[in-house]
Amino acid sequence: MTVADPLLFRTSDAELHEKIAGITWRPRGWGYRAVLLFALCGTLWLAFCVSYTVARGIGLWGNQIPVAWAFGIINFVWWIGIGHAGTFISAILYLFEQPWRAAINRFSEAMTLFAVLQAALFPLLHLGRPWFGYWLFPYPSTMQVWPQVKSALPWDAAAVSTYGTVSLLFWYLGLLPDLAAVRDSAPQRWRRRVYGLFALGWRGDERTWAHYRKAYLLLAGLATPLVLSVHSIVSSDFAIGLTPGWHSLIFPPYFVAGAIYSGFAMVLTLLIPVRKAFGLEKLVTVRHLENCAKMLLTTGLMVSYGYLVEYFLAWYSNDPTESYQFFVARPTGPNAIFWYFMLLGNVLVPHLFWSKRLRTNIWLLFALSLLINLGMWSERFVIIVLSLQREFMVSQWGNYSPTWVDLSILFGTMCFFLLLFLLFLRFVPFTAASELKELRRELEHQARHRPRPHALPGEGGAHG
Amino acid sequence: MAELLLEFEAPEALARAARELQRKGYTGLDAYTPYSTDEVRDALPERSSWIPYLVLTAGLCGAGGAYLLQWYLVAYLYPLDLGGRPPHMPLAFVPITFEMGVLCASFAAFFGVLWAGRLVRPWHPVFEAEGFESTSVDKFWLSVPASDVPEGRQALERVVDSLGAERRLYVASEVRR
Repeated sequence: MTVADPLLFRTSDAELHEKIAGITWRPRGWGYRAVLLFALCGTLWLAFCVSYTVARGIGLWGNQIPVAWAFGIINFVWWIGIGHAGTFISAILYLFEQPWRAAINRFSEAMTLFAVLQAALFPLLHLGRPWFGYWLFPYPSTMQVWPQVKSALPWDAAAVSTYGTVSLLFWYLGLLPDLAAVRDSAPQRWRRRVYGLFALGWRGDERTWAHYRKAYLLLAGLATPLVLSVHSIVSSDFAIGLTPGWHSLIFPPYFVAGAIYSGFAMVLTLLIPVRKAFGLEKLVTVRHLENCAKMLLTTGLMVSYGYLVEYFLAWYSNDPTESYQFFVARPTGPNAIFWYFMLLGNVLVPHLFWSKRLRTNIWLLFALSLLINLGMWSERFVIIVLSLQREFMVSQWGNYSPTWVDLSILFGTMCFFLLLFLLFLRFVPFTAASELKELRRELEHQARHRPRPHALPGEGGAHG
Repeated sequence: MAELLLEFEAPEALARAARELQRKGYTGLDAYTPYSTDEVRDALPERSSWIPYLVLTAGLCGAGGAYLLQWYLVAYLYPLDLGGRPPHMPLAFVPITFEMGVLCASFAAFFGVLWAGRLVRPWHPVFEAEGFESTSVDKFWLSVPASDVPEGRQALERVVDSLGAERRLYVASEVRR
């Protein structure tokens, strides 16, 4: 698939550069500042709630036996899932040579980084005593106790920290040429200095490019199995347990599909307002949004298939606790409303994307992406809370409701995410300018080498 | 030693100039470009990258090290008998082994580029050149090692006259380690 967008042809490299890199030095309007202030207040509220939790303990949360895992894990899985689309766009679509990714990959990778950051907060707080977090690492202590690496939780720690680190390296490597471009063209001297430091002395000599191309390709190749492994490993936190509703082999692929589904929804949630606010409709075209909607349709169908298999297995296992969990507790038990949100967001909504008219209706896409985010959050709520509410023995059954601290921390991480994202939009060239220039050139080449009566000799037509 | 920097509008022009100079016997050419292009790559001498070997080695070392560490922790130092499962259980070691392999390989790829490109140096002789900033925006620069002898430079200048460069500048050569 090529996005032979004629608009990309009509801009020269210098104009493209001015458009993308210029965002970092052009002043921002009141709208931006207002949203930034809102995000900042939310982040301060998060800081307060986190401090309160650390000071008083996680008794402030709604977690109570039998539902010992609740918001802490729901939000962790939700945020980490959102990150997956970023890596999918930047790594997997790169390997499959999908040129349309160039306009949105930097943006989605940043979304990944910030989402992983939010995710990492939750298990750390859920420890109850976060200052002992370093016990997860194998270090020689006087107690001579070591992490139990046969448990899924250390796998999780390894997977998530590797994922965050590799995403950061991949993102930063791709960013170097563009940081150098800002260093070389920013109007103020101090800006040149600061970007010069972050550009690490990038010169773009062919010797470096030769290594860079190889390294970028290899990082894409490494990130591809990584993105599939992370949510698989997260799903083993559940799949390895015996709890009805968790103990299922479908979990790894179904979690990965769900992660990419929620991630693409978040890409749309962020991309649609940003392209409007920064006037990037020519770079991030309706085709890009439509492709994201197609990905939502594909992964949404995979998620629906996962649900189907879960229900089939519950019935086929002939296990009364499994059957009760799936056929009684989820549709009719306490907190069942989330089960309906889940079906709405993840099973019904994707079918709207069969229609091209709906796929290209931008504000409808935006609304649906919010609904999908809600649906995927509800899915994690259903898996975690609804399963734990109804385990094997009736005497163990219980109900769950979150406290204001739970809700505040969830809201606070959204604000913190928004804050990081706004700062990223302000200070980093958020579209990969060097990749777009390369893409533009390749598209021109393709256009020129198509059989046409007057093939242009030499490079003269490149800037026509 | 000095280097002559030549600015071109498009990679094809740079590639033609590079071929011409190489035909005349000039070696050690390099190009500074805003993005990577096939034309420039093909016109300059083939450069093989050792990054893949580094990445493979680092990945294998990371994975091997992680496996050994896990074995050392739970099978050797602190074996726990849980439900009769063997202390050394390769299947349970797979996730961390894989993750650490990927982590080390990625570090190798990233820092390999920084090392190979002699980066993390905020200053370089080419940054002194007036107008060289265009290299990261939309212009393509070719660098040719220029001799310090006036006759050598004049010969080079004569060749360069026919190449159609937009600008030409002399800068001090980088001191290669």
